[in-house]
Amino acid sequence: MFPITQGGKRMAMRLSLAVLTLLVLVPGPLLAHDVTPGDAGYIQEIWGVHIIPFIYLGTKHMITGYDHILVLLGVVFFLYHMREVALYVSLFALGHSVTMLLGVWYGWGINAYVIDAIIGLSVVYKALDNLGAFQKWFGVQPNTKAATLIFGLFHGTGLASKILEYEIAEDGLLANLLAFNVGVEVGQLLALFVILIVMGYWRRNPGFMRQATYANLIMVFLGVLLTYQQVAGYFAST
Amino acid sequence: MYNAPKPKLEDLPTKAQLRRSSIIAGIGAVAIAVMVYMPAELGQDPTGVGSLLGLTEMGEIKRQLAEEAAADEALHGTDGSSWLMDDLLGLFVSTAQAQEAWTDELTFTLAPGDSTEIKATMEQGATLFYAWTSNGGRVNFDLHAHANGQDVTCEKGRGQTEGAGSFETPFAGDHGWFWRNRDAEAVTVTLQLRGDYSAIVRSE
Repeated sequence: MFPITQGGKRMAMRLSLAVLTLLVLVPGPLLAHDVTPGDAGYIQEIWGVHIIPFIYLGTKHMITGYDHILVLLGVVFFLYHMREVALYVSLFALGHSVTMLLGVWYGWGINAYVIDAIIGLSVVYKALDNLGAFQKWFGVQPNTKAATLIFGLFHGTGLASKILEYEIAEDGLLANLLAFNVGVEVGQLLALFVILIVMGYWRRNPGFMRQATYANLIMVFLGVLLTYQQVAGYFAST
Repeated sequence: MYNAPKPKLEDLPTKAQLRRSSIIAGIGAVAIAVMVYMPAELGQDPTGVGSLLGLTEMGEIKRQLAEEAAADEALHGTDGSSWLMDDLLGLFVSTAQAQEAWTDELTFTLAPGDSTEIKATMEQGATLFYAWTSNGGRVNFDLHAHANGQDVTCEKGRGQTEGAGSFETPFAGDHGWFWRNRDAEAVTVTLQLRGDYSAIVRSE
C-alpha cells in the first residue's frame, strides 16, 4: 500500500476489507490491472439503487450455492404437507435474512472458511436428524423447528461475509441489500419447487423409506466433505 | 427409524399434479434462461425483457470486464514487462502550465461506457499531488500502479465527482488512474498534477 494523505479513515476501512478478502479468498490468478470480472466486477462498477439486478444476483447466489440447496433438501426431506414445508422454509428464511442484513450493515467479517465449515456441519446434523440418530443415540428428538431457525442464522452469516467481499457502493446500499435478500428468497422458492417435484415422485415409490436411509447417509458424507474442504482451506490460508 | 413417519400415499401429490408441476418448471426454466440468464450473463437479449429489467447492462459490463481481464493477462501476463509495454503503447499528452501550484492540467471527455488511463512515470519513493473534478456526470476510477511484476492498488472509487490528495510510490514505474464513465451522460474530467514525475503517459 502506498501512504495516502487524504481519506485515511476510508483507506483504513478499505485496508481491513482487503485483508479480510485476503483471509477468506483462495487467491485467483493475479491480474496486472486489477480487473475484477464477473458478478463482483459488475457490482464494483455501479452505484445507486438497482433493484432487479440485485434480486437476480441474490437468486443466482442461492441457486448456485450447493450448501444451501443441501440443507434445504435435508429440511424438507420428510415434509410433505404444504403447511409444514412453508413453516420450515419460512423459519430458515427468517434466520438467514436477520443475520445477512445485520451482518452486512454492521460489517461482521467472519472468516468464510469458518462459517462455511459450520454450514457443512449443519448438513451433517440435518441428515443425522432425518436418520433418527439423535433419538437412537440420546433418546431425545431435538426440536427440528429451532434447528432450522439456527441453520438459517448461520447461513445468513455466510451470505453476509460473501456480500461484504462484493463491496457494494454506499449509495443505494440498503435498497440493494434488501433486493438481494428478496432474490435469495426467490432462489429458495425456485429450488424448493424443483426439490418438491423430485421428492413427490420419489415418495410415491414403494422403496422410498429404504432408499431414504442411503440418501441421508450420502448427505452426511457430503456434509463431512464440505466441512473438511473448508477446514483444509482455512489452514491453507493461514 | 427416522425422525418422521412414512408418508401416506393419499397425502402425497398425485401423478397428474406432479406432471403438471414438471411442465410448469420446464417452461419456467426456459423462460428464465432466455429472458433473465442470457441478458444478465451474456449481454444478449433476444426478447427485450432483459433490457426492460435492467439486466442487459449487467451482462454487457460483465462481458466488457471479461474481455479487459483477458487482454490484461495477454498484455501483462507473467513476463513482468508491463510498464515497458505501457510506454510503447502510451502516447504523450501535451501538458499546459496551470496555476502556479500545479505543474500540469489535463482535460478529457469520456462517453458513457468509455475508459482511459492516465499515469505519471515516477521513481521509487516519489510523491505526486493531485486534484480532479468531473463535469456532466460521475466517474469511476482506480488509482494503481504496476511495473516489473509488482502491482498495487491505492484507491478505487465509483460514482464520484471530485477527488484530491497525494501518494508516495512504492516502486519505480507508471502510477496513475484508470477512469471509466458508467454514468448516463458524457463526463469531462479535469485533472491537476504536481510532484516528482518525469512524464505523463496516456493510453486508451
